[in-house]
Amino acid sequence: MTQNALNSVTMAGGRSGLMMRLLPMSQQLVVVVLLAIEIIIFSIVGRNFLTVENAFEVIRQNVEIGLLALALTPVIVAGGIDLSVGSLIALCAVVLGMSWQDWGLPLGVAVGVALLIGTAAGLLNGLLITRLGIAPLIVTLGSMSLFKGLAEGLMSGRAPFTHFSTWFNELGNRYLFGFLPEQVLIFVVAAIAFGLLLHRTTIGRTLVAIGFSFDGARYAGVPVCRRLLLVYCLSGLVAGLAAVIYVARVGEANAGAGRGYELYAITAVVLGGTSIFGGRGTVAGTLLALFAIGILRNGLRLADQPAELAGVLVGTLLIVAIIGNKLINQLTDLSAGRTLSIRRERGNPT
Amino acid sequence: MKNAALLLCCLALSLSFSFSCKKEQAATVSSPVGKQVVIGMVPKSKGDEYFIACRKGADEAAEQLGVKLIWDGPTEPEAARQNEVVDDWITRGVDVIAVSVENKAGISTVLRKAREKGIKVITWDADSESDARDYFINQATPEGIGQSLMDNAAGVMQNKGEFALIMASRTAGNMIAWSAAVKARLTEKYPDIKLVAEEACEDRPILAFNQASAIIKANPNVKLIMTICAPGMPPTAEAVKQSGRTDVKVIGLGTPKANATYVHEGVTQAVILWNSVDLGYLTVHAAKALAEGRLKVGETSIDAGRLGKIEIKGDNVLLGSPFRFDKTNIDQFNF
Repeated sequence: MTQNALNSVTMAGGRSGLMMRLLPMSQQLVVVVLLAIEIIIFSIVGRNFLTVENAFEVIRQNVEIGLLALALTPVIVAGGIDLSVGSLIALCAVVLGMSWQDWGLPLGVAVGVALLIGTAAGLLNGLLITRLGIAPLIVTLGSMSLFKGLAEGLMSGRAPFTHFSTWFNELGNRYLFGFLPEQVLIFVVAAIAFGLLLHRTTIGRTLVAIGFSFDGARYAGVPVCRRLLLVYCLSGLVAGLAAVIYVARVGEANAGAGRGYELYAITAVVLGGTSIFGGRGTVAGTLLALFAIGILRNGLRLADQPAELAGVLVGTLLIVAIIGNKLINQLTDLSAGRTLSIRRERGNPT
Repeated sequence: MKNAALLLCCLALSLSFSFSCKKEQAATVSSPVGKQVVIGMVPKSKGDEYFIACRKGADEAAEQLGVKLIWDGPTEPEAARQNEVVDDWITRGVDVIAVSVENKAGISTVLRKAREKGIKVITWDADSESDARDYFINQATPEGIGQSLMDNAAGVMQNKGEFALIMASRTAGNMIAWSAAVKARLTEKYPDIKLVAEEACEDRPILAFNQASAIIKANPNVKLIMTICAPGMPPTAEAVKQSGRTDVKVIGLGTPKANATYVHEGVTQAVILWNSVDLGYLTVHAAKALAEGRLKVGETSIDAGRLGKIEIKGDNVLLGSPFRFDKTNIDQFNF
């Protein structure tokens, strides 16, 4: 581990536990402010932006990326990364289409097969990372290519799968009570589940510990490998679920599904205040950042602006949020007084 | 405590959404006649030269007619992104949505939703399911393409001799229809012309090159190769050029820019395609007519500015006979 991990440890010793808890919070506050600014601007320049329908539309369009971001939050908090989730959407979508149309399985069973493939793929990532001790970035960079290649191989030279049953398409396109998209319900359940997992269970606490210090957690008796296997399996399962919702919404299963989604999801997680080095992060932060990004694309379109601008603005948003967070931290450092800095100068207490 | 504060913030935000919903509702109702017509137009891909040319025509028509044209779509062909653009425009409230369809089944669901909300829907360049839109702006019928290809080939060959055919695929629906139309025209009008070879290049340039080389070697009397495949046209011309046979000419279906050098060198005689600038132009004209109720079911023609009277067949607006790109005009087109 490097300077960065060392710094975190120093900070933990120097500041109190409260400061550690406040760190992700300050970035979330920055995102909340940015979100508020976006909403104000777009409600002035956009047409029909500030409506219930549009609020649900924003969520509906971001359910797939949002699910990935939810599942990536514990992965990144535990000091890992999963780059393969976007490609896994493609693979699961193709398997869903094939098992239904080619192997003649009922669509409900095909959905189960897709979820199973997703989980198995996540398990593969997890096993390579924990059993062989290869860096998650490298493992999932490889499996990103592998899953994408498999999906393209299975689809080579054939038309995309279409014409799914009505009930299935409704999963992605029906509005309960006239305004509530069905998949948003699934998303809410997933968000609550991941929130509970990360913040209200011992598993969640051990994930933070692993991300904070892998060796420390192991010496403290945390079943490190099992915990990591769990988060990568969950990541795979959720990618499978995202694939099912994607196919239901778009009505087409193809190897192009979910292209580049992993980067959108990781951006949301990082913007939401989760440390890319692990050890801190919240599901609430991820959700806030997800909306900040989603609203940007939607709002630009309602203001008749080209969507290419969104890419530029998401980048700006990320940089502004990080700078804002840094400024706040420096201010709190100053107000915390000299004792803190003296204690920090003594170096690592461990 | 901080968590609770955050939760409150979220709640406040979502409440602000719901409070403001009522007053904005009125704006959703599409504009009555007299107000500026708003047309949202979606290409398959924004960066593609072909669609940039379509946009040129669309902008021209929009300026002439005084309509507001919003042009947006994916930066690369992706099914989900097109759906999202249409979804957002339903929320925004536009009068007409005109889509060049990337995935037929997927887009049809949102297009039906748009129609339910009273938005007129047009497809252009590539069609959706027919019940999901009001009209399809059809840039070329198979008969039109086939006749134009064969007539131009006959012109080059002076109505007699041997020619060979390279098509993109033997299984794709449009290819089957186009090659059948070419053959139908051949038997109907040109008894002295003979089709001596027929290959399928699977949209792969290298295959087209190899097949063209083989055709030239195997058929010493062949006078012309017709390539019905956009990526296959330049390599066909390259194969002819490298063989040194100046008596063999090339024509086919392709885009002007990729073939311009071979046209100027005299290897390729003509490139047949619809004029995509006109396609964009016609789409905006039809969209405005539809929004103003001038384009009704049963109409047999529409007045489209500089294109004159355009034929309507059922729910297809026909751009007319394909365009011939040759030495005289090919440099004016940038796609």
